[in-house]
Amino acid sequence: MFDFRRFMMHTGVIALCFSLAGVGLFADEEAASANPEGIQFFEAKIRPVLMEHCARCHSTDGGQGVRGGLSISSREALRVGGESGPAVVPGDLSQSLLWDAINHEGLRMPPSGKLPPETINDFRRWIELGAPDPRVPTEAVVQSRVTPEAIAAGRHFWAFQPPQMPALPEGSGWSESAIDRLLESQFAAEGLTPAVDASPTVLLRRLHFVLTGLPPAPGESDAFTAAWSRDPRRALESTVDRLLALPQFGERWGRHWLDAARYAESTGKEIDVSFPNAWRYRDYVIDAFNADKPYDIFIREQLAGDLLPAPTDEQWAEQLIATGFLALGPRSLIEQNSRQFQADLVDEQIDVTTRVFLGVSVACARCHDHKFDPIPQSDYYALAGIFQSTETCFGGVRSQRNRQPSKLIVLPIDDPNPSDQSMTREELAELRRQRDEVQQEAIEARRALARPQPGGTPPQTRLANQFLLDQRATQLTTRINSVDEQGRPLTVCMGVQDKAKPQNARLLIRGEIDQPAQEVPRGFVQVLSSANAVLPANSSGRLELADWIASPEHPTTARVMVNRIWLHLLGEALVRETDNFGASGPQPSNQALLDYLAVRFVDSGWSVKSLIREIVLSRVFRLSSEFDQKRFERDPENQYFARANVRRMEAEVIRDGMLAASGRLDPERPRGSIMARFSSSIIGPDGPVGMVMTPGTAGMTAAQTPGRPGVLDRFSRPGRPAMDGAGPMLPSRLQSRLNGGGGSIFEASVLYRSIYLPVPRNSVPRSLDVFDFAEPSMVIGQRETSNTPAQALYMLNSAFVIEQSDAMAERLQREQKQRRDQVELAFELVFSRLPESEELEASLRFLEDAERSVKPAAALSAFCQALFASAEFRYVN
Amino acid sequence: MTLPVCCGSRREMLRSVSAGFGSLALAGLMAGSLPAGAAADQPLAPKPTHFPPRARRVIFLCMQGGPSHVDTFDYKPKLIEDAGRSIRPGNARLMAPRWEFKQRGQSGLWISDLFPEVAAHADKLCLLRSMHCDQPVHPQAMTQMHTGSAQFVRPSLGAWTLYGLGTENDSLPGFVALNPPAAAAQNFGSAFLPAIYQGSRVGAAQRGPAMARPAAAQGQSVPDIRNPRLSQDLQRRQIDFIQTLNRQKLKREQSQPGVEGVIESFELAFRMQDALPSLMDLSGETDSTLELYGINGGRTAAFGRQCLLARRFVEAGVRFVELNHGNWDHHFRLEADLAARSEEVDRPIAGLLADLDQRGLLKDTLVMWGGEFGRTPDAQGGDGRDHNNRGYTMWMAGGGVRGGFSYGATDDYGGVAVENKCHIHDWHATILHLLGLDHTRLTYRYAGRDFRLTDVYGNVVQEIIS
Repeated sequence: MFDFRRFMMHTGVIALCFSLAGVGLFADEEAASANPEGIQFFEAKIRPVLMEHCARCHSTDGGQGVRGGLSISSREALRVGGESGPAVVPGDLSQSLLWDAINHEGLRMPPSGKLPPETINDFRRWIELGAPDPRVPTEAVVQSRVTPEAIAAGRHFWAFQPPQMPALPEGSGWSESAIDRLLESQFAAEGLTPAVDASPTVLLRRLHFVLTGLPPAPGESDAFTAAWSRDPRRALESTVDRLLALPQFGERWGRHWLDAARYAESTGKEIDVSFPNAWRYRDYVIDAFNADKPYDIFIREQLAGDLLPAPTDEQWAEQLIATGFLALGPRSLIEQNSRQFQADLVDEQIDVTTRVFLGVSVACARCHDHKFDPIPQSDYYALAGIFQSTETCFGGVRSQRNRQPSKLIVLPIDDPNPSDQSMTREELAELRRQRDEVQQEAIEARRALARPQPGGTPPQTRLANQFLLDQRATQLTTRINSVDEQGRPLTVCMGVQDKAKPQNARLLIRGEIDQPAQEVPRGFVQVLSSANAVLPANSSGRLELADWIASPEHPTTARVMVNRIWLHLLGEALVRETDNFGASGPQPSNQALLDYLAVRFVDSGWSVKSLIREIVLSRVFRLSSEFDQKRFERDPENQYFARANVRRMEAEVIRDGMLAASGRLDPERPRGSIMARFSSSIIGPDGPVGMVMTPGTAGMTAAQTPGRPGVLDRFSRPGRPAMDGAGPMLPSRLQSRLNGGGGSIFEASVLYRSIYLPVPRNSVPRSLDVFDFAEPSMVIGQRETSNTPAQALYMLNSAFVIEQSDAMAERLQREQKQRRDQVELAFELVFSRLPESEELEASLRFLEDAERSVKPAAALSAFCQALFASAEFRYVN
Repeated sequence: MTLPVCCGSRREMLRSVSAGFGSLALAGLMAGSLPAGAAADQPLAPKPTHFPPRARRVIFLCMQGGPSHVDTFDYKPKLIEDAGRSIRPGNARLMAPRWEFKQRGQSGLWISDLFPEVAAHADKLCLLRSMHCDQPVHPQAMTQMHTGSAQFVRPSLGAWTLYGLGTENDSLPGFVALNPPAAAAQNFGSAFLPAIYQGSRVGAAQRGPAMARPAAAQGQSVPDIRNPRLSQDLQRRQIDFIQTLNRQKLKREQSQPGVEGVIESFELAFRMQDALPSLMDLSGETDSTLELYGINGGRTAAFGRQCLLARRFVEAGVRFVELNHGNWDHHFRLEADLAARSEEVDRPIAGLLADLDQRGLLKDTLVMWGGEFGRTPDAQGGDGRDHNNRGYTMWMAGGGVRGGFSYGATDDYGGVAVENKCHIHDWHATILHLLGLDHTRLTYRYAGRDFRLTDVYGNVVQEIIS
């Protein structure tokens, strides 16, 4: 079954991806002009053999799926072929894989045994004759119910008209900005009065969490209050500017983007295989927010960074990494039918692109016209043509479980994954030898499985062995692919490249790959375009798509982004469904404000930081969340923002906050990701399955046995020694008590910010998962906030929380000697305020109580843990 | 949207306060698509059904790998008669079942000797002999069976059930997945439904896909269920202190929707710490009960323990329990391995049915058995059968289904469902129906659309309802 020549071609890492065979189109004249004797020959000699020996595994009627992506059911299907390439090239035996396969060269078909020589000879004759085959599906044409008139009318929908700068109403003395005036005029209309301003202490905590995701340091609150009393405006502006300039800003806001961009570091789905280079995209996003990269450029780079001019190699690399946006979606690697796989991949790209940037859901139109918006099915296939003409590079190595590997892009810089090490040519040769050996073993193990072996190894064990061999081969191949011929580590990323020859897509009836209808010219979503797209014939059109989305005139692009920004600053969005600005979505609660922000955003050169600055300096941002019966009754959902929303902080903020309070937060960005070590491995809840570790350059150690996950230490960073086990590692006594709860390997020992924790789709680290982390297989504009007993159990019993409580207790004892002072410092560290008298008393009572049964240090730790567990720690007013 | 504005109590306020799920659930409520009472503040509270339910809880016995229906529950005399022939071009030779089929019980259902003990309960069983799904490979078929869609990440059957009905025990999770395979998170996940509806995994999650782990690894644990350090007494004092802080916050700020939720979550967690381990402690069960489930040793012990746990969970008010049993993928060594797998589950399942019945639980507990697909009537390599998603058997018992009844049929050989076909969407629709939920009205709004477990498909199989 293995063809090593092709195997290598598919799994090799290449600098420039080349085109796979696309969906070919065949002139109908060919059938008509075919020699009638040729057709007769096909009917007499070829068709019966195909049906008897191939149809079972290579047609949709066979019941066994379409293995290898190859269907033999039509002329077109044979010529398109499967994942290895065209099965039949008329007149060319050497290019026809079917010919190789029936001669058992490379492929071995049928698997049960070679066909008789005379049958093989018939195939030779048939292919040489030009492979005449009358089985041409009649071309269907799907007529859309969405008329051009309906599309034209659809452009009048509020969201599909470009935003205009609204007239700014006069404000009263309350308003301090245009934003305030636009809100205030609505307060009046709704009979609302704005809440009072929040206290400086509350405001400072809010600013810190919203802008950086970290609490203010002790003392900052007092300093801010003092500055506020001197000159509120200046105090506010200088604090905002300071926070916006911190690297922690990008870590906070980059994460919001990663939620929408369904960022993750593995394929998810049935077989969760790692993406060891996804972290480059994560860092790109963080850096983009920190550098205040103009949003239009940010869009262009993510959709078409590979096609943009790049004056330097560094910039080119950055742009290539940005296209990881399109490559890191969830993938079903076990899919046998490569055409289905490609169709699903393109579908995911269309879905994420249209929802994240445009706030419309075009993927609904894969199977039929959009139900609510005037988006005909052909619009979907117009976009599909663009993405079908794009090669998506997400890596992976072909194995029994990974049937859909792809390439990676070699970057023009020297910055390999920190875990990829160089090796000598001899070592490389040795690895290749080992790999070949293991592959051979795996094949033999597989064959042996089918042979009954009375009294031999139990089949389960043999199955497991064979699985591990397959994994081992995968890991060896990954290691081999990680270096060049000289053994130097390659610097690679996930991303996209244009295929050599762009092709329009064919509309698929009900979205079924075996039901092609008419060809659809590549293009954009009509209802969102004022003119018809004209795309170049010699490129995919992805660059033009990016330009169209990032254009200042686009009706939804700026609105969608300012709505996201408003949501993360104010706690609720102006359009409550952030990814659905279509007819089925909610109206904006204040369209004038939305449009004002959108126009300002574009006018500022798409500066995210400028927009954030303007909003947080507005009075509305300073409002108190205090409860007022009347205000509540008037606007229970707080659609009009006359008060502040109380917000449950995200999982990352909760974890980072504990590390900050315990004083153990490592503020620096680690290089790479834990997942970078698990190249192409299948990821289970406790880490990679059958992981091969790489100690130095000495080669490979044996595959680990299941149940003993690989050792994890901090990954190294240039210029910084890797940490040893003494400091940041959890003490082993606690590790050993980790009671169940998968995911521990992914986080137990690390102290950096949570955005750098690995994100395997099916095994999200527990500290994130338990507090409603964004589902990494979906576009998430706004996270859920739930209150679950699992969260309570995590806060009460998890090793991580106990460890941070211990560390914070040590800190309290180090910094303060008096019990009362320790309690006050604890409140300041955890809540950024001093305790009220009842709280102080309750705290001292608890400590006294606890000390009756445990030592003072343990009592203090239990006290710190209680503060972490309390509602106030998770909520920002 | 108009809202019922009423501020008499915090709880009523919570319903109106927008907070992610709250506003969405409320939107659903307004549209009449959600059972009343699905408020944001108590998403797990028992909820009224759309119509009177026949079943109040579900135990799903999930056989991973695709158990052969033609050797177990789908009797095909013609397959025996024509064994050795090839029925379709390209197909291998038909292979007769290796086990004898007999008519069982008053109803005379045909069941093979692989399941002698389950067969003794034939009059309780409702065989669905015309199942089919769209996916010929394991993980995708497994995902479709659990979520309705192999293509997209969608909420699981258990999550939809919990979302629709809430739970009846405030000390336990409402959806429990016992011994779940790893890398199948989405089969127990809540996808876009709030996280609180996802399955709680009980039992050590095992590394890697089924291939990579031993057959019967059994562990039973819940993450963070025990504090490694504090005594129960001290932890209670600690929780009291946490609640003091929480109440102070409530007092200061009057309205804090989340804070009440936090307070309740700690109380539930504290109860769970007690309830869950003791519920999972089987030491108090009598010898005759252990014997009934086959727990006293041998090949039945592992699955027997799971079945007994399932009974204890549903008895305690857990809404949906899924049990997993692996390695039913018999491409080869069918004769030995299928017999071994069947033996491992036969007595435990029979014990479960008997025990539920004697406790009066079976009448409103829906027990479901089956795998992601069945197997081909023709042989694969002499002693095996290949995957077959186009026709297979699942069965139900209790929970308002007709006992001793067989619904639908495959062709003469068991290859393709031909009569009264039951797609996996129909299966889902029927399960929800038995639970008192209309599958077309149990919706959740996400990304601008109302989603259903059955998407735009699904027909309730009325004939199987007693």
